[in-house]
Amino acid sequence: MKKLFSLLLCVVMVLSLVACGSKTDDTQTPDEPQDTAPELSGTMKVVATGDVYGPLFDAFTADTGVEVECLSMSSGEVLSKLRAEGGTPSADLWFGGGIDAFMSAKDDGLLEPVTFDAAAELGDEYKDTEGYWYSKGITIVGFLLNNSLMEELGLTAPESWDDLTDSQYEGEIVMSNPAVSGTNYAVVNALLQAKGDQGWDYFEALNSNIAYYGKRGSDPKNKVSSGEFAVGISYIDASIEQAAEENDLTIVYPSDGMPWVPEGVAVFKNAENVDAAKYFVEWLFSSDDHLRQLAEIEQKNGIKVIKPSIEGIELSYDPTLLMTEDLSLFGSQRTEILDRFEPLMGDKAAAE
Amino acid sequence: MKSAGAIQKNTEKRASHDVLFSLCENAADKLILLVLLGSVLLFILWPIACIALRSLRGADGGVSFAMFGTVLRQCGESLRNSVFVGVFTAVLSTILSLSAALVCATARGWKKTLCMIIMLVAMVSPPFVSSLAYIQLYGRRGWITYRLLHLSLNPYNRWGVILMQSISFVPLNAMFLSGILEKLDEGSLRSARDLGASGGVILRDIVLPLIRPATLVCLLLSFVRSLADFGTPIIIGGRFSTLAADIYLQVVGYSDLEKSSAMNMFLLIPSIVFFFVYRALMRRSDRLTDASRTAQTELGLLLPHCGAMGWGMIALSTVFFVMIVLQYGCVFLSGFLKSTKGVYSFTLQYWDQLWRIGSSTMLRSVEYALIVSIAGTVFAMLFAYYMDRRRIIGRSLFDCLATLPYMLPGTCFGIGYILAFNHAPLKLTGTALIVLANMLFKQLPTSTKICTASLALLPEVQERSARDLGAGRLAVLRDVVFPALRPAFLSCFVYNFTSSMTTAGSIIFLIDAKRQLAVFKLFDAVYQGDYALASLIASVITVIVLLVEGLAFLITRKGENRRVSRT
Repeated sequence: MKKLFSLLLCVVMVLSLVACGSKTDDTQTPDEPQDTAPELSGTMKVVATGDVYGPLFDAFTADTGVEVECLSMSSGEVLSKLRAEGGTPSADLWFGGGIDAFMSAKDDGLLEPVTFDAAAELGDEYKDTEGYWYSKGITIVGFLLNNSLMEELGLTAPESWDDLTDSQYEGEIVMSNPAVSGTNYAVVNALLQAKGDQGWDYFEALNSNIAYYGKRGSDPKNKVSSGEFAVGISYIDASIEQAAEENDLTIVYPSDGMPWVPEGVAVFKNAENVDAAKYFVEWLFSSDDHLRQLAEIEQKNGIKVIKPSIEGIELSYDPTLLMTEDLSLFGSQRTEILDRFEPLMGDKAAAE
Repeated sequence: MKSAGAIQKNTEKRASHDVLFSLCENAADKLILLVLLGSVLLFILWPIACIALRSLRGADGGVSFAMFGTVLRQCGESLRNSVFVGVFTAVLSTILSLSAALVCATARGWKKTLCMIIMLVAMVSPPFVSSLAYIQLYGRRGWITYRLLHLSLNPYNRWGVILMQSISFVPLNAMFLSGILEKLDEGSLRSARDLGASGGVILRDIVLPLIRPATLVCLLLSFVRSLADFGTPIIIGGRFSTLAADIYLQVVGYSDLEKSSAMNMFLLIPSIVFFFVYRALMRRSDRLTDASRTAQTELGLLLPHCGAMGWGMIALSTVFFVMIVLQYGCVFLSGFLKSTKGVYSFTLQYWDQLWRIGSSTMLRSVEYALIVSIAGTVFAMLFAYYMDRRRIIGRSLFDCLATLPYMLPGTCFGIGYILAFNHAPLKLTGTALIVLANMLFKQLPTSTKICTASLALLPEVQERSARDLGAGRLAVLRDVVFPALRPAFLSCFVYNFTSSMTTAGSIIFLIDAKRQLAVFKLFDAVYQGDYALASLIASVITVIVLLVEGLAFLITRKGENRRVSRT
């Protein structure tokens, strides 16, 4: 009896080792059959910059019957994952993130072009000429000041980018690492474009005032909100306006221009449900209702810049303050600029 | 009323049964071994080989060593930083762990219970959140430094990283050291006391020398763990960066897989050296502790009677315990506090956000963690047994392989899995299996070490005598080895469960939209800057882990009691 038991035990043990594999294998077959027919079906997998887009995707599901699954990832993570996957992406649609990552993905041949009639209404610089990516909005950059800390330190409020190099702000400015944050990369690239030869001198000077470069895009906002630093170089949107209200912060729209960056939308090449993703892009940009719903969810109104004909959305800032940017340089100069920027971000204490 | 013939027939039948059984048993034995070794090759060696191959990929797609030159030129400073932090963290963490372990082992009554509870809570340690709590407590506007002491300190530097890493490594180290302390030969302590030695002398001349190898192992473990940790430096390093943090940046900022892979190879070199030193030290430790002492009595030593050193240890561990309590208190409170113009008020708004994440995500996390901890514990027990007690060709190779996941920053182990398992016939991406396997094998190094340490308590003679008495290999496993590993089962299970619930780095790239996990939501909240939500998720994870651990403890306790009462 005892032997029988131990035989049984060993069989069970071996089986359970195998079962760990096979049991979970069952779940890998997709719930719905894959269909390549023109009528849409199945599931569309989305990587997005946040979790908030549920209502928009629900509307898409209601119109097409395609279920949407959404995963939140930063654009750098998406790009790394795409490159590691080597041509068989695990998602269908890329929704949001700095445009430089999209340009880079296009150059690597990781995106699928989409063309549709309504694209003609979008401003030329906000879409790829061959339809590899489109913009669903723009992110603008300004300064965020912590009023009580400014007062305590006796600082005057900076009004322009040039003001930030004043020595009174030494060690009181936070910005994000431009390699990680698309918004702060836009700051670097746009100011380099605007300042020409003096651009790098400017960043050298700014660097001596910067406490450190955050490794998350949300760092400047958080550090200024919690009163740890006086000045943050941060994206500005409705959520920032709310945070400003709650935490006694001041938002500054720099007088010498606001850098901005389009937020991309694209379809992954070789994606499982490429048709649904392509249709989603068309579905979104062809209807002002959908775009308005998106603007409401994001609490951003940048779509007005991209599609000027849209009604019912007004900009909360003066669009003439937006800096003149040649976006094509965002992708092509990225490596070169980041390589040159990297030594600036090093440990000042160690360098001395 | 059985006839002689029937009895004989019965015996014959049993004999043929026995032959059949021993055949089956041998086959099963080989099969288990094959499955173990195969899995290690597939889920550890293959992904790491993929990373190595990727680091050799040149710009034109050919083989090139150019990346190593670039990395060597550019990463010198971060490598030095890594070693700097690693050394300080290792020393500080070991001193703290030693003090905490000694306090735990010598304390009595409610003090002991309190120490154990704090240690258990500290073991959960959800990622990133403790670093955020550190800033909230000791930062420029910290609750302690600014509000209480009116200091404005800059916490974003190397010392912040060292302090945070040291503290967060203590619970696991202390657990390891307590295990060794419990095995100390009580006899030599008693004879020293009988000969008139004071507590301080016993501590200095007997206890500490006896656990010196274990202390060295602690140093090494902390050093390597510090090398691979990227979460602490990215959150509180400020301008200070380590190699692991740079690797993470390469992945999320530059998406440069070739470069990050090459940097990983640099991290692996010290780790492999570490492995062989570790093995040599463990062997010495086994000789110094009394393997046959199984009764887990308290250490007959009272720290307050141990002179200056004893008091020093009490003071250090008190500081440590207070810091842990503050840290977790801070995390817990942050989930319910809302700051409006610097004034805090109570709020439940983050609870609502938490509910939006949904209980299904939480349940899935628990489910995965349970699967991984049971499968992982069984795997580790079997693996430790086959590696430790059976002479297998290539044993040290496999043992070394099983240690490698400990040395790699989690993100890279995850990328390695995508590189390895995204193409037929090994297409596993997008399945639950890849996440489970990643967790299991990422945790295998530590779970194997726990089991090996416990196995060392079992004299090999017992196994051999069982074999001589005719027990089959599996019977030995079932009746001799597994019962001896019973205490390891609990600590292994606890470790696996805790890690599965809290490890974020390696699964960021493997998670599927349909199967999200709580820790992924936590990572996302930290990334988006929702500290309150992150704290709340962390608190819920902590509570769940403690509940499951308590349950596991009760179940094994009950099993043990029943066993004792039966004998």
